Amino acid sequence: MDTASFIIQQLINALFLGSIFALIALGYTMVYGIIELINFAHGELFTAGAFIGIIVLAALQKTGFVESHFVITLILVFGMAMAYVAVLGVAIEHVAYKPLRRASRLAAILSALGMSIFLSNGMMLSQGVSDRAYPSILGIEGFSILDARITYGQVFIIVLSLLLMVALQMFVNWTKLGKAMRATAQNQTMARMLGIDIDKTIRVTFMIGPALGAAAGVMVGLYYGSVRFDMGFIYMIKAFAAAILGGIGSIPGAVLGGMIIGGVEVLWSAFLPSEWKDVTTFVVLILVLYLRPSGILGEHVSETRV
Amino acid sequence: MKRFGIFMLLLAFMLGFSSMAAAKTLKIGTLSPLTGPYAQDGTDILQGVKTAVAVFEKAGGIPGYDKIEVVPGDSACDGGKATMAANKLINSGVAGVVGAYCSSATIPASVPLNQANIVQITPASTHTDVTGRGFKQIFRMPPRDDVQAWSTVKFLEDGLKIKTLALIDDRQTYTVGLTENITEFAKEKNKIKIVALEHITPGDKDFTAVLTKLKRINPDVIYMGVYQPEGSLMVRQAKALGLKSKLLSEDAVFHPKFLEVGGKAAEGTYLTFAKAPETKERKEFEKTYKNMWKAKTVGSYGYYAYDAGMILLETIKKAGTKTNKMVDTLRNTTWSGVTGEIKFDYKGDRKLAHVIWIVKDGKFVPYWDPLTESYF
Amino acid sequence: MPSSNVKKFIVYSLFMGILILPMVGLPSTGFEITRALLVWGVFVGILAFWLLGKSIRGSDAFQSAAGGLAPFRSRLFDNFTKVPTKIYLCLLLFALAAYPQVANNYMVDVGITCLIYVVLGLGLDIVVGLAGLLDLGYIAFYAVGAYTYSLLNLHFGLSFWSCLPIGIVLGAVCGCIIGYPTLRMRGDYLAIVTMGFGEIIRLVLNNWDKLTKGPNGLLGMAKPAIGYPSFAEGGVKWVSYSLKSLHSLYYLILLIAVLTVIGVGRLNNSRIGRAWIAIREDEVAAELSGVPTTWLKLLAYAMGAAFASVAGAFFASKLSYTNPNFFIFMESCIVLCIVVLGGVGSIPGIVLAGIVLIAVPEVSRELQNYRMLVFGLAMAVMMVLRPEGLIPATRHKRELHETEGETYGE
Repeated sequence: MDTASFIIQQLINALFLGSIFALIALGYTMVYGIIELINFAHGELFTAGAFIGIIVLAALQKTGFVESHFVITLILVFGMAMAYVAVLGVAIEHVAYKPLRRASRLAAILSALGMSIFLSNGMMLSQGVSDRAYPSILGIEGFSILDARITYGQVFIIVLSLLLMVALQMFVNWTKLGKAMRATAQNQTMARMLGIDIDKTIRVTFMIGPALGAAAGVMVGLYYGSVRFDMGFIYMIKAFAAAILGGIGSIPGAVLGGMIIGGVEVLWSAFLPSEWKDVTTFVVLILVLYLRPSGILGEHVSETRV
Repeated sequence: MKRFGIFMLLLAFMLGFSSMAAAKTLKIGTLSPLTGPYAQDGTDILQGVKTAVAVFEKAGGIPGYDKIEVVPGDSACDGGKATMAANKLINSGVAGVVGAYCSSATIPASVPLNQANIVQITPASTHTDVTGRGFKQIFRMPPRDDVQAWSTVKFLEDGLKIKTLALIDDRQTYTVGLTENITEFAKEKNKIKIVALEHITPGDKDFTAVLTKLKRINPDVIYMGVYQPEGSLMVRQAKALGLKSKLLSEDAVFHPKFLEVGGKAAEGTYLTFAKAPETKERKEFEKTYKNMWKAKTVGSYGYYAYDAGMILLETIKKAGTKTNKMVDTLRNTTWSGVTGEIKFDYKGDRKLAHVIWIVKDGKFVPYWDPLTESYF
Repeated sequence: MPSSNVKKFIVYSLFMGILILPMVGLPSTGFEITRALLVWGVFVGILAFWLLGKSIRGSDAFQSAAGGLAPFRSRLFDNFTKVPTKIYLCLLLFALAAYPQVANNYMVDVGITCLIYVVLGLGLDIVVGLAGLLDLGYIAFYAVGAYTYSLLNLHFGLSFWSCLPIGIVLGAVCGCIIGYPTLRMRGDYLAIVTMGFGEIIRLVLNNWDKLTKGPNGLLGMAKPAIGYPSFAEGGVKWVSYSLKSLHSLYYLILLIAVLTVIGVGRLNNSRIGRAWIAIREDEVAAELSGVPTTWLKLLAYAMGAAFASVAGAFFASKLSYTNPNFFIFMESCIVLCIVVLGGVGSIPGIVLAGIVLIAVPEVSRELQNYRMLVFGLAMAVMMVLRPEGLIPATRHKRELHETEGETYGE
């Protein structure tokens, strides 16, 4: 393997990892943008999506539906997982965050952390401690650029996540609800005065963000081939780092941040001692927060927000 | 004086109670992670010991005891919790303990057990420090890290006859023990050059960066010192990246789940694992275990735990519950179990070598024996 | 039950059904409808109970009954408070001191673990409760203490007692290192950064093979020893007595815990403590009033870290073994749970929570699997319903029930 293909391969690896991080980071950035709360449970919502995906897929596989209607299967798997997690997101918002909207910041963070621990252990008890195999429907066939290989599954996932990101950007910029979301994020009091239903807007945010996380969960399951109850934790940290890096609250920022975090991880492992990979991610996160708390594409962050 | 008085009172109570309730219950304890990420293996261990007790009781039990009770202890793979669990077992008056799983729990837990002079047989911990610290009453079922590393290097040198080797570990106690030992053994004869030592994070899903790095180096064999969840993902990604190197892994990956998740990509992977003798007892045990726990497969540590439970009970039957006698009996007897012949050396380690297995048609198949240097 | 409650009940139950049935009813082994229905039933039952209770509490009859009971309740309360607190404290201390005499080894060991977590909880309370800085990587300082003692003892043969001050200083230095870059951050960012720092310290311990032996862990540290003069053979001789038995270790950690309670209590009521509370309430106002916020925030981190470091050194010496695995993020969460459930800023609350949260799941084995589940749920429920904790700190209760102050979402 020559150097050129080596670098291309590592860039493909980074792009793939980055697009998954970006998709999860979008959920953080939306929720944070609108109520300024780290949704600690987001990682668990991502895992829940992966589990629902596996449940639907396993059921479809039993009936032999997968072979005959491959595209419909994919739509069903992604749709069901996203729908379920959207409902779960709204439920969590209603139970754990809404009553605390006016309470102290500490209380809200702790409630979010509590929800995260609760969900992850709930999934452990209901879905088992060991990892579950995802029915492998994507396969490992692919094509080569020089000596670098990329599978069709990877292409599919990268394209799908890009599509979802574009769709989200269009939704937020062009639809009425999206505009209401942006208004609420900027100034809640003002938005309320202008007749925007704040509760409804927050609910919608808590549907879309987690649904994107669920899509990422299904992608991870489909491509990597297994899910486990505690896999959300690592993705949560990385995706949150991505969201902050890009500038929390900004949708292009989250995508950029995801790509950068994915890139840092892959390229560090590729050229430097791999055992320090995670330390590097955390150091990057801390440095960004210290030097530029508003992130790369973030708007100004006032003293009270940081 | 006061303390003595209270103690006597408690003792009297305890004696009174015990003579009233179950006069002749033999208790043996287990230590394994029943909660947390390793709970699956921990449950396998508990179930293995319980199966041993059931089988033993069916065969007549131990004269002088009406009942054999298993007292479960949750070590949670954590030093603090493991000592608490060990103390709990000591207090409930167990005659012997099977456990624990993680070496990082077994080592701290063995201290109170040693002080209380209770026989401990670990069905899983392979770190060299578990035995050989001057503790006489600790025994170990699986081969030590260095024994497994020896088999691995022997296979690479004399079986595959390769030149270059790359190592991957996930920086946990077990896997680092293996890669360190392999590095040392490989240096001895200097037939194999270790060209890379890479590390991954347990819990990660994407190992393509490290695998691409190794693809470029292109070693003859890549050794995966990881646990099953990461190992299964790694073989898939290696296949997807088109790695030409052969993959070799160890007993922590030897699990039905590896075949399930790895699928076709797992084909051709070599693994080191204890020899599974095709005996009638083993088949019978598998049948009993599956019936008893409604399980599809027997977890790898279930076998060791069953054997540990069986020899513990046999020892008590032969020698009573006096620790010194038990230790002598355990040490001087050659047992036969479902994991083969069991004979402990002066440290409490078993003379058992791993053999090399290969994944073929979705099954683990024995492949090469390092002791005889021959194919199966 | 008013009709709005009935409607609420139906909608919520359906919602929960949608959420619970697929997740619980379809595990890998197949279709387990009974388990799903059982879990759903439990949730619906709790919901019905809660709504019923709410409507009863809202009804006139209950209000008048409660009003009638009020004098009795206050009289009972008066009778309790008539006895000075000191007597209660002495009784409690006596009970704690007598505990190992009546308990077996296992219970003593559980007691030791409880007390370690009490010390950790109180240490974290300085950071979270007093200074209002959320710290999700607190267990790292515990690791620092454990490793300081282990390394110094193994390489230089230093005793437990001489390692303690070194450990405290190192812990405090680490606290400052973590504290410094986070000085400008608040709330959520602080939480993530401290979590990152906690992980960094664990990863460094795990990766730095030459110093810490990495994941192999360090083995064979000496137990703490105390010296006492012996007059046996004419002259005076210092004899060292190694605290090997669980009982003696229990008394050592009890001593540490009592000192921690006294220390944190004094801090709470000191000038520094009041300054911390001022920072927690309104940093800008505190700074304008002449409170040196930078130094005090660093001091909070350093003090909190110092207590954790002592607990860590004790833990390492008790086990004679340490391993980076012992200091995972979940441990930080457990300590934080203790602080939150006990009541942020409340010493008796934290002591109670430490004992309850560690001892209850330990003693009743069936609960172990559900421990973290209940932890998480309790954390969220507590924040929503009773943010002041089991035994609220008087000062804190007022603040948490105010609606003004810092809010988010504005």
